[in-house]
Amino acid sequence: MAAISVSSLTKDYGDLRANDSLSFEVESGEVFGYLGPNGAGKTTTIRTLLGLIRPTDGTAEVLGADVRDEAALVEAKRRIGYLPANPAFDEGVTGRELLDLHGAVKGADRLEPLLDRFAPPLTRPIRQLSTGEVQKLGLVQAFMHDPDLVIMDEPTSGLDPLMQRSFNEFIAAEQERGTTVFMSSHVLGEVRRVCDRVAVLRAGRLVTIEAVENLLRRSGKTVRLRAAEPIDPAALEFDGVHDAEVHAVDHDGEADEGGFVFGGEARIVSEATLTYTGDINRLLDVVAAYDLVDLEVEEAPLEDVFMRFYGGRHDA
Amino acid sequence: MLELFQYGARHRVRGSVAMAVGVALLAGIVLWIYPSMQASVNLDQLMAAYPEPVLKAFGVETLSTLAGFLSVELYSFAWVILFGLYTAYAAASMVADAVEDGRMDLWLSLPIRRRRLLTEQYLTLLVPILVVNAVTPVVIYAGAALVNEPISTRNLVMVHVLSVPYLLATAAIGLVFGVVFTRSALAERLALALVFALFLIQSLLTGTDYAWAGLVSPTHYYDVTAILVHGEYDYTAAVILLVTAAVLVAVAAAIFSRRDVG
Repeated sequence: MAAISVSSLTKDYGDLRANDSLSFEVESGEVFGYLGPNGAGKTTTIRTLLGLIRPTDGTAEVLGADVRDEAALVEAKRRIGYLPANPAFDEGVTGRELLDLHGAVKGADRLEPLLDRFAPPLTRPIRQLSTGEVQKLGLVQAFMHDPDLVIMDEPTSGLDPLMQRSFNEFIAAEQERGTTVFMSSHVLGEVRRVCDRVAVLRAGRLVTIEAVENLLRRSGKTVRLRAAEPIDPAALEFDGVHDAEVHAVDHDGEADEGGFVFGGEARIVSEATLTYTGDINRLLDVVAAYDLVDLEVEEAPLEDVFMRFYGGRHDA
Repeated sequence: MLELFQYGARHRVRGSVAMAVGVALLAGIVLWIYPSMQASVNLDQLMAAYPEPVLKAFGVETLSTLAGFLSVELYSFAWVILFGLYTAYAAASMVADAVEDGRMDLWLSLPIRRRRLLTEQYLTLLVPILVVNAVTPVVIYAGAALVNEPISTRNLVMVHVLSVPYLLATAAIGLVFGVVFTRSALAERLALALVFALFLIQSLLTGTDYAWAGLVSPTHYYDVTAILVHGEYDYTAAVILLVTAAVLVAVAAAIFSRRDVG
């Protein structure tokens, strides 16, 4: 059974169609990324899944419960964890009091290991906590009752890099336990490390749903070559090459700014960058004709893939 | 059950105690000035100097007994108006603030139905209501003995007991505003405005041909002067207030269960 099943989900705010006839399923045990820029409608979907807002049309089921049926949804929530984008707790209470309340209502089977792992502050009032500390409390409350499904809105915002890595490991471990995770993000880097599949949302509509690997494959490689001779832009016009840019390197300018030029750098007279989705051998054949100083081939950042979905505009 | 009530109630204790201390101070001042006022001024003459509508508005009948003095100087103002406004405001902000600053999201992520959440939150207002109503009569009783002015203990207790249904009703009015309006500042102000307007309608229309309009006001069902000065306890009125409060809470819960949060 699908952990989340969204069918023709529409939320119309009159002047804004925040979700426009969305349909997709999240399989049980899957880590699913819900991507899109700010304002794409990610939070609207999440709030609908939690029953905070009612769909204008269509519906969704979480763990088999229709989100429009409060009684069924409340029952399902015993097995659902939720982490909002900016979790807000009563300012005057301590972390301990807060977790006690959540434990009393929904259970605290896994509280201790989670406290060991995230070490949220428990004795200080919440108003004294930093964003990262509040986020830790948010994570603990979302997982403390050992839920089958966890829904998180921008979960790694507010975490420092070390915590982000810890978070990624944690999600991987959760998946091992069989937990289904649905998380939104506008930062693609964090999604590709933990998600199996992603849905991309743009202006309330679903652009694509696919496995992260496919997305990466489709997105191709970012290639940067620097040569000791001029590169002919026409030579880079073949199938699989996108957004090629060639420009001459002016060492006088560099030397003026940096004061000196490193070893091989001095030989560079031309530099080209492109995105490549074709056969790598073909590319190598072409570039082998040049006297290269440097060649970098790396996975295209998912931001670039995003740009393609949005026709080059992030705010589309 | 009642986890949210316990949690919410605990966090109202400190504020309620502070409020009780403040009200006790106010009661102390009223008790302190009464003997010297009474000794040096003919209070009923002073009373006669007030315009008739004002006397009606505050249910002033006599100032020459401690009960009459207290009902005007303390209860009509601090209980009927201030405490009534406070509970309406607190109930309105309880929901509206939590929705506005996002705390409601996490409350609603709990496996709890919205009507239960709302009812338990509403009931936490019993903490300030009960704490203040428990502390004040003790202070008045002790103070009255101290200044050697007789006051009926029974009437004193009843003026506090019968204020509870009144305050639950004003809180329920605030609760409805809190679930209807999405901006908390608006919900709070409108709740305050309505409760105050109801007080004015009832008090200013008393004795006119339009007195019936005052029947919609909770203040009509809680008459401090009748209780303190005459020892008349209107239990029917108290029941009307409780039923009204229950109906308003049910209405608020129905609205809240259907509306979008955020």
